[in-house]
Amino acid sequence: MQSKSIYKIPNGKLLNISLDYDEINNSINEIKIMGDFFAYPEESIELMENELKNTILEKVSLFEKINSIIRVHSINFIGLNAERLTEGILMCKK
Amino acid sequence: MKEQWRLLKTDFSTAFTNMALDKAVLVANSEGKVSPTVRFYGWKPSAISIGYFQSLEEEVNLDNCRKLGVDYVRRITGGGAVFHEEELTYSIIIPEVHPQIPKNLLKSYGKICGAVMKGLNNLGIESKYVPINDIITGGKKISGNAQTRKAKTILQHGTVLIDVDVDKMFSVLKVPNQKIKDKLIADVKQRVTSIKHVLEKEILFEDVAEEMKRGFEEEFNVELIEGTLTEEEKELTKKFDKECFSARNWNHRR
Repeated sequence: MQSKSIYKIPNGKLLNISLDYDEINNSINEIKIMGDFFAYPEESIELMENELKNTILEKVSLFEKINSIIRVHSINFIGLNAERLTEGILMCKK
Repeated sequence: MKEQWRLLKTDFSTAFTNMALDKAVLVANSEGKVSPTVRFYGWKPSAISIGYFQSLEEEVNLDNCRKLGVDYVRRITGGGAVFHEEELTYSIIIPEVHPQIPKNLLKSYGKICGAVMKGLNNLGIESKYVPINDIITGGKKISGNAQTRKAKTILQHGTVLIDVDVDKMFSVLKVPNQKIKDKLIADVKQRVTSIKHVLEKEILFEDVAEEMKRGFEEEFNVELIEGTLTEEEKELTKKFDKECFSARNWNHRR
């Protein structure tokens, strides 16, 4: 199932998610995290997109997965954070 | 004696060469081959640059770009889409451990934007830094800025609008409604301004460059000495232009 969300983060930037997900397993097939935010190092966003594959689309587990990816790759977001990213991804399901 | 940095005035280039040149200087500086560098430049033909994370097709009206002869390029920096026409663009390339650069990322944005604001002030324009990356005057945006850090080196580049054709700008840019939802001024066309508009007179690129030079010198307490690209930087520029910035798989990757 293909879906998109656009989320203007309060006091932050614009997040643009393009999601392909498995409706039966409720998990991510493919994801693109786009927008006018900043992330350091920039290339870590592609690592995050890869590592989010097969993650269950459920608030707590998705948030924890995103946080662990941020820690492992020492990602520094400006205008975006793990909580808002989780919200933006889950908006694709509504 | 004041520390001396290199000043590059590279005039007008294509979007692809402009972005390649910034990256070439970033590589050269990270390898210790050139001193901290401030560069002033313009864009010919007019172009859109989009942020590293943005979707090209969501941000840019490609049909109108083709019709109007406007190029488009993806930057290596994050941030938003920018229409570059009548403007001065600056870049600064400097080691992140340089004593003039705050360790904190946001503070480093503010510090570099401080140089642009001093330049504007020299032109008679009072402005304000609005985190994360905007400079506004009279409530309207006059400068947008974006920074990356690679190999312990900072590249920040940004725009200073000299004049702006908002109708053309918003015919080549797509601005989603969500972006302006929490802004005070709903009409995006009312949210940008330019030096010409504020001063109510024509101003030359060269004069803006001169005041910006002084602005950087004042903010960083350095002397900017006009210099040229090294042979290696020229070669790197050609390479990045061809292999990255003018390549479809770079610009269309998102």
